[in-house]
Amino acid sequence: MNNSSQAIGAVMVVGGGIAGIQASLDLAESGFKVYLIESSPAVGGRMAQLDKTFPTNDCAMCILSPKLVECSRHLNINLMTLADVLKVEGEPGNFEVTLRLRPRYVDLEKCTGCGACFKYCPVKVPDEFNLGLSERKAIYLMYPQAVPAACLIDMEKCRLCKACAKRCQAGAINLDDKERINKIKVGAIILAIGTDLYDARLKEELGFGRYQNVITALQFERILSPSGPYLGHIKRPSNGEEPKKIAFLQCIGSRDLENPFCSSVCCMYATKQAILAKEHLPQAHCEIFLMDMRAFSKGFDSYFHQAQERYGVKYTRCRVSAIKENPTSKNLLIKYQTDDGEIRKEEYNLVILSIGAQTSNKTHELAKALGIDLNEYGFCQTKEFTPLETSRPGVYLCGPFGEPKDIPETVTQASGGAAKAMELLVTARNTLVEEKTYPEEKQVEGEEPRIGVFICHCGTNIAGVIDVKEVLEFVKNLPGVIHAETMLYTCSGDSQKIIKEKIEESELNRVVVAACTPRTHEPLFQETLREAGLNPYLFEMANIRDQGSWVHSKEPEQATEKAKDLIRMSIARVRALEPLYGISLGLSRNALIIGGGLAGLTAALSLSEQGFGVYLVERESQLGGNLRKIFSTLEGNSPEKYLKELIDKVTASPRITLMLNARLVKTGGFIGNYQSVVRVGGEEKEIEHGVTIMATGGREYRGEDYLLGKDLRVLTQQDLEKVLASNPEKIKNAQTVVMIQCVGPFKPYQEKPFYCSRICCTVAIKNALRIKELNPQVQVVILYKDIRTYGFKEKYYNQSREKGILFVRFSDEKLPKLGVTADNNLQIEVEDFSLRKSLIFQPDLLVLSTAILPAEGSDELASILKIPLTEEGFFLEAHVKLRPVDFSAEGLFLCGMAHYPKLFEETVSQALATAGRAATILSKKELKVGGVVATVFPKKCAACLTCLRACPYGAPFINQEGLAQIEVAKCQGCGSCAAECPAKAIQLLHYKDEQIILKEEALLEKFGS
Amino acid sequence: MIFGEQKPLEEVEEMIKDCKKILIAGCNTCVAICFAGGEKEVGILASALRMRAKMANREQEVIEQTVQRQCEWEFVDELKENVEKVEVVVSLACGAGVQAVAERFPRAFIFPGLNTTGIAITEEAGVWAERCLACGNCILDKTGGICPITRCSKGLLNGPCGGSQNGKCEISPDVPCAWQLIYDRLKVLGKLDLLDGIKPPKDWSTSQSGGPRKVVREDLKSSS
Repeated sequence: MNNSSQAIGAVMVVGGGIAGIQASLDLAESGFKVYLIESSPAVGGRMAQLDKTFPTNDCAMCILSPKLVECSRHLNINLMTLADVLKVEGEPGNFEVTLRLRPRYVDLEKCTGCGACFKYCPVKVPDEFNLGLSERKAIYLMYPQAVPAACLIDMEKCRLCKACAKRCQAGAINLDDKERINKIKVGAIILAIGTDLYDARLKEELGFGRYQNVITALQFERILSPSGPYLGHIKRPSNGEEPKKIAFLQCIGSRDLENPFCSSVCCMYATKQAILAKEHLPQAHCEIFLMDMRAFSKGFDSYFHQAQERYGVKYTRCRVSAIKENPTSKNLLIKYQTDDGEIRKEEYNLVILSIGAQTSNKTHELAKALGIDLNEYGFCQTKEFTPLETSRPGVYLCGPFGEPKDIPETVTQASGGAAKAMELLVTARNTLVEEKTYPEEKQVEGEEPRIGVFICHCGTNIAGVIDVKEVLEFVKNLPGVIHAETMLYTCSGDSQKIIKEKIEESELNRVVVAACTPRTHEPLFQETLREAGLNPYLFEMANIRDQGSWVHSKEPEQATEKAKDLIRMSIARVRALEPLYGISLGLSRNALIIGGGLAGLTAALSLSEQGFGVYLVERESQLGGNLRKIFSTLEGNSPEKYLKELIDKVTASPRITLMLNARLVKTGGFIGNYQSVVRVGGEEKEIEHGVTIMATGGREYRGEDYLLGKDLRVLTQQDLEKVLASNPEKIKNAQTVVMIQCVGPFKPYQEKPFYCSRICCTVAIKNALRIKELNPQVQVVILYKDIRTYGFKEKYYNQSREKGILFVRFSDEKLPKLGVTADNNLQIEVEDFSLRKSLIFQPDLLVLSTAILPAEGSDELASILKIPLTEEGFFLEAHVKLRPVDFSAEGLFLCGMAHYPKLFEETVSQALATAGRAATILSKKELKVGGVVATVFPKKCAACLTCLRACPYGAPFINQEGLAQIEVAKCQGCGSCAAECPAKAIQLLHYKDEQIILKEEALLEKFGS
Repeated sequence: MIFGEQKPLEEVEEMIKDCKKILIAGCNTCVAICFAGGEKEVGILASALRMRAKMANREQEVIEQTVQRQCEWEFVDELKENVEKVEVVVSLACGAGVQAVAERFPRAFIFPGLNTTGIAITEEAGVWAERCLACGNCILDKTGGICPITRCSKGLLNGPCGGSQNGKCEISPDVPCAWQLIYDRLKVLGKLDLLDGIKPPKDWSTSQSGGPRKVVREDLKSSS
């Protein structure tokens, strides 16, 4: 940036999938205005189409939807759908972006997404969201949970019959809507555009598009989904029957000449789909045809084993070359080679093609508009040490646009990309954000309840089934109801005005809205209360749509009765609700980072660039960690040079306090206000910090397997790396080098299940190629179980095959055996999996690709910080999918190998992500805590410690009186402690027993109990 | 702490089935901690009994009250008003609590709702394990802090016996051999010599064998 004073405090995020959403939320939460640009009619992206997510089987929509809602309601996120980027001018800190806003033909402000219009639209077209497996209308909602929840008209298909305009009671249809061109000024741009998927039609031999029962994995994802075309029932598209035999074909459009890279997620999503298929249809046979099983991330291997052992999913190592259809049964014939080498033909009822990721012409057009380079695969060009930066300064990226990746890595990069933008725009932080001000709150304690009830028609959504007039008459006579009325749409802007007026006029002190779900709408109404001077907790919602008119559409009379019950219950509870108040706390703007390797250094530098203070604690006497032991990269860059520059910058930063030979001794406090003791040398120092980042790294396993440590000819990959850098002659003169993959403390008697260390295949291939470079005559043999060169690392696997590196696959049952011959040669015997024959090698050097273990002392730190560990001993994040760098205790983050083994570009992304996440806290003017939190009634407390054990956030503690107390700043209001307390000494505010019981009694009173 | 388990619902129901009005009396100390008789368990038992009464068409009212400790007169007295209202009290305290309530209210029927198990520690959330039999003559100094009276199935003073297999007791592979534990611990402490001699028979007169026990501290007694 030439002139930092002119930096614009706004960021444009292009792409409204999970990456764009996360980046937008992080930026908006840390003082930047965000323009979120989405080309489709709604945000949500690919994740919105998924049924469940691996390896936890969480429902994708359930975990995504709250983020969608948060994004759409955020004061500082301007969501623009149906928008395309046409041009970007200017420079970092000061860009002008030209956008095309395509017409929706439906007024976003007026449409409530009630869906009345599409019931009456006569035009049916294939539904893109369900990939043609069902139909939609010409006016439609992209998907049921779409955000913005507004319809749109597909003008190409529309017959202009205006049936929708007649039916729309909100008057939202605007057939004269026009395309507009908009110019927006932003300081930085983040590209979160994702990828397209491979077009399976191009593989004619597989019959997709011709054979009805050959479908893509994304279609199967929609089939599995309860909101999908078959409402969650697995059926064959040809005849609607349940399939008995299902085949999954891997690497469709990946790892071939067309797309010579691995799409990284297909092995796992196919495994997930097979597990889900078995859950739906336990009798079905599910078989996955694959080359290598690429289960290379946290928890993936155990998921893979679960698929085989618990669900009986079969994995066959064969790339299927063609599918034939039986024209009468529409079954599909697959000819394949079994693991024993036998050729077999088998009929399947349904075949799922695991299609890979790729970019499209649209990506190229966008790249041109943005002036950024794409790489040889058509993905975004990045550099090894700067994985989140495009070729154009000030334009960052995140997610699969850089390289295919799964959801957690995408979310990680999104927070990392946000951190890069924050660094660039540090001077412009908080210059463009708006803050909402509210009138002073009325004190209503001690007043008799004066309740207002607003009953929603939701167009015809509710009123079409439920007799809202009858409900209104019933409600008017309930005790405490001062005002009641029905509204066409309670959620519309006009209605908010009316609700506010009524609160004023009738001096209401409690409000009930009977409409749809509190999940999406409660915050809106709470806001309205707040604007009217009422505490937002004096509010209750009755869901008479989802739980009423929708599920009882065929029994209108009972639905009406149920609506009365639901509202009567809400009125009973709202009477007993109390106002709750948050507390504002100050905070320290420093971060404590534990670990001075690549992860810790990167996070420290990003935070210091953003103007925050950092205490960087390293237990060794020098910085650098494992990066000191890496001397080359795949692309031929120098890690040493990079590390030196990084350390120089960190050392020079006035905001970073380096603490070498230091250890964390003690930590206390909570988000924004931690106090820790660090022992530096012999001295103990007390520091205050707002957040803590764990960047403690990992270490190479150095057990005594295969004579490691006993015979000097046996090395680990890190040893080899060092020899290659310092004494290449030694390797040059070797005749044979053998590498063994997957060496680690995994034998059953040690009761440690196998986990993939993720980096070893890539590192082995990097070092093998380096050996071939030094002397092509050296025979290099890699003994492996699966080669897991995911993403663009596949290129180097291909290269190594071309260079004559020999790959021998062994099985778990028959591990390679090492002996020493009479003439003192190392001798390796291994049974080749496909040949079923033993091979013998006498290598000059045996190189072991050993597992990556968590850093020593991780367990000790875990107990000091009260953070959980995985079975393998790595730190466990709050949520493996959507909170990949957060701990569940707020203000604690993790990155690098402390999380799981990873390559250094991944560590850089993750470290930046922690800086981005930390900034959402450190940049706050003050922290708001409290509200719906648990509270202890001390007289009943027996100090039994149950709450301390039950709380996932470490909020309860035993106070000086020896009784349990809840740290308000840590409490997330989950209620676990209140439910568990055997003395009933804990209550969750807003959900007190009496408040819930009143509701139940109101329900049961009509039965006379 | 004292630990115990609630009696099966059927057994409690059998005790009270002919009564019109019942008080379930909880104790919010030891038995609350082991999830057997605190306010929460009282609520659950009372609800279950109400449902059973309804299903069996019994006219029955079940009320609830939980006090801090049923083994102290001051807390027991808090039950007075409710005890007078009912025909029967089901106490979810340990045996001491049940008897304290009975002693305080000589004209009321007090039934036990718990089986008191003994003295335990919380090994982990949801797991309570016995550690002391209250023998009245502690020997933990001689056994590495591990009580053979409680934890050896035979209560041997000179173990292990021939039933110790791979560190486990012959009664179950889930029960560690106490004497193995004692040996391992003393080995770590470098005190294996403590095992050299034969321990003479224990004086059980301090235990239940000597009749009901009582501790009297004259200095603490009220002067009256």
